[in-house]
Amino acid sequence: MNIDTVKERAGPREFSPADELPREYREAATRMIEFHANSEIMGAYLERPFIRQAPSIDRKLAFSAKVQDEIGHGQLLYRAAESLGVKTREEMLDDLANGDGKFLNCFHYPMESWVETPMIAFFVDGAAMRRQATLRRTSWEPYAHAMDKVCFEEGFHVKHGEDILSELMSGSKKEQHMTQEAFEEWWPRIIQFFGPTDDKSTHHDFAASVGLKQQSNDDLRNAFLDQYIPKARKYGLEIPDEPRIRERDDGTYVVEEDDLNWDEFFTIAKNEFEPGLGQINGRKTAQEAVDWVRETIENDASAAGGHAPQAAD
Amino acid sequence: MASSPDEFSEPDDLDERERTALETLCKRLADDEFVLAERYTEWQVRAPTLESDLALANNAQDELGHARLWYDVLGDLGFGERELVYERDPDDFRHSTLVERPFEDGNWADPVLRSYLYDVAEELRLEALADSSYPKIADRVEKIQSEESYHREHAQNWLERLADDEESRERLQTTLDELFAHALTLFEPCAPPRGANEASGDKPRAVDPGVEADIVDLGLRTATLEELGEEWLSIVVPYLESLDLAVPIDGDGDDGFEVTAAALPDERGRDGTHTDAWAELYDEFTRTYRELGRDEPTAIMDAPE
Repeated sequence: MNIDTVKERAGPREFSPADELPREYREAATRMIEFHANSEIMGAYLERPFIRQAPSIDRKLAFSAKVQDEIGHGQLLYRAAESLGVKTREEMLDDLANGDGKFLNCFHYPMESWVETPMIAFFVDGAAMRRQATLRRTSWEPYAHAMDKVCFEEGFHVKHGEDILSELMSGSKKEQHMTQEAFEEWWPRIIQFFGPTDDKSTHHDFAASVGLKQQSNDDLRNAFLDQYIPKARKYGLEIPDEPRIRERDDGTYVVEEDDLNWDEFFTIAKNEFEPGLGQINGRKTAQEAVDWVRETIENDASAAGGHAPQAAD
Repeated sequence: MASSPDEFSEPDDLDERERTALETLCKRLADDEFVLAERYTEWQVRAPTLESDLALANNAQDELGHARLWYDVLGDLGFGERELVYERDPDDFRHSTLVERPFEDGNWADPVLRSYLYDVAEELRLEALADSSYPKIADRVEKIQSEESYHREHAQNWLERLADDEESRERLQTTLDELFAHALTLFEPCAPPRGANEASGDKPRAVDPGVEADIVDLGLRTATLEELGEEWLSIVVPYLESLDLAVPIDGDGDDGFEVTAAALPDERGRDGTHTDAWAELYDEFTRTYRELGRDEPTAIMDAPE
């Protein structure tokens, strides 16, 4: 199939591993799904310490399950990416460890306090939900299929995040104050989750033309604002003055993009942001510490005739 | 001899002796599960493969669920999560030191071995709780048992795979040498809870064998700690030896093994003495609760039935 045919046929769940697809499509799809998978892993990395710090057994259970879900999503997405035949899962995980793998801007920032947890679990996951819902109609069928499960579970995460937010904002003055401060810090990053405006986005045109991407950055961002600004206010959060957000006549919102720090965003996109590098390297160190186990399993597998070991997992 | 089940009083009519026995038993059960789960979660996002990451997270959540079940029994004595976990004096926790030991970075041999040593002990004690004179305890055994056999299978699969590789087996051996003494504390008697009698309180090693005897005499558990310990040894020692691991204990299978005071670690957990790692762990998991100035842990799930 040549690229013109791909563009002609591009529709929801149109292509599967049975199709012979041009390299350009397979590479674009791999880049997109790998980014998504990496983001699941790095999000889990960021949230893991809060399993321990959760202020009750129920919250601890929910947090452990959430982190587990994210790793499960990563597993599912790497499989969907692998099926394009461009990169193996090992290559993608190695790239992530080496600092070559790209992932969401929000997961490059450190998270230090419990009051920050709903910034990820409610707002970032809520933003992710919006994007993922549109990806159920992406043209690469294995990706769309993975999104079915991911969206289902992500719904619980957002509810969990919303519940934590609601609890914090109805707690003591101190809790409310701390939560508002965290919100002000995270809000611009959350808006940048959707990436630069359409005219600055590098990969958008092609991905949209072959049906991989279903909605533009601008549309997704605006839809997110329409939905989440009222939610934030409902829990008593004040929307920061910057970035400036205009309310249109019809009650929908639009953000003044020049108020956002795009230098920082593109530094992050290159994996050159200092805190993010710390997180990439922290994960790398943890993975290197268990290299010996993977080596043992591999030796075991080759001794057993090259079959990937399953039993102990 | 254990008394028959109907001899143990209804929750509202417990006498002092029954209360102390019930509280001591449930705390040792719940604290073990809670602290072990807390340690397991350290492997989330750090396990060797995505698959093993998912599996360990699963076990952690199972153990946390079991902790919830045992703590909930103590609701009958008027205790809530606040008194039992988030505002409890760390010296009043009664878990075995096996479960509080910190993991050395990357030492996957440890969670695997720890899980095996613990899960065999848990299987045995669950059997001894199946006919407990306290119905709420007996009722919860089956649910927990259904999850435990998977844990042991998972641990054994990993042990066998690691033991098959010379270098990995050496790691297992080093870890076994460190963990085994702590595992023996699983069967040590508990100090009674604070305020129960003269043996309790701030005195270290304030063990009261009377409480442990009461647990069995009142039929709360149908086997003694000695019996459980002996059975455990008769399972784990031959199994570990079959993997070419040397188990640091005196005696042999024919005459039984001898657990001497010298074989036990200085800190035994059950008696209220803990290793330094416990103070740090306690400080970490109560941090948010303290920082936010909470006075009640949030319940978001229904109480167990």
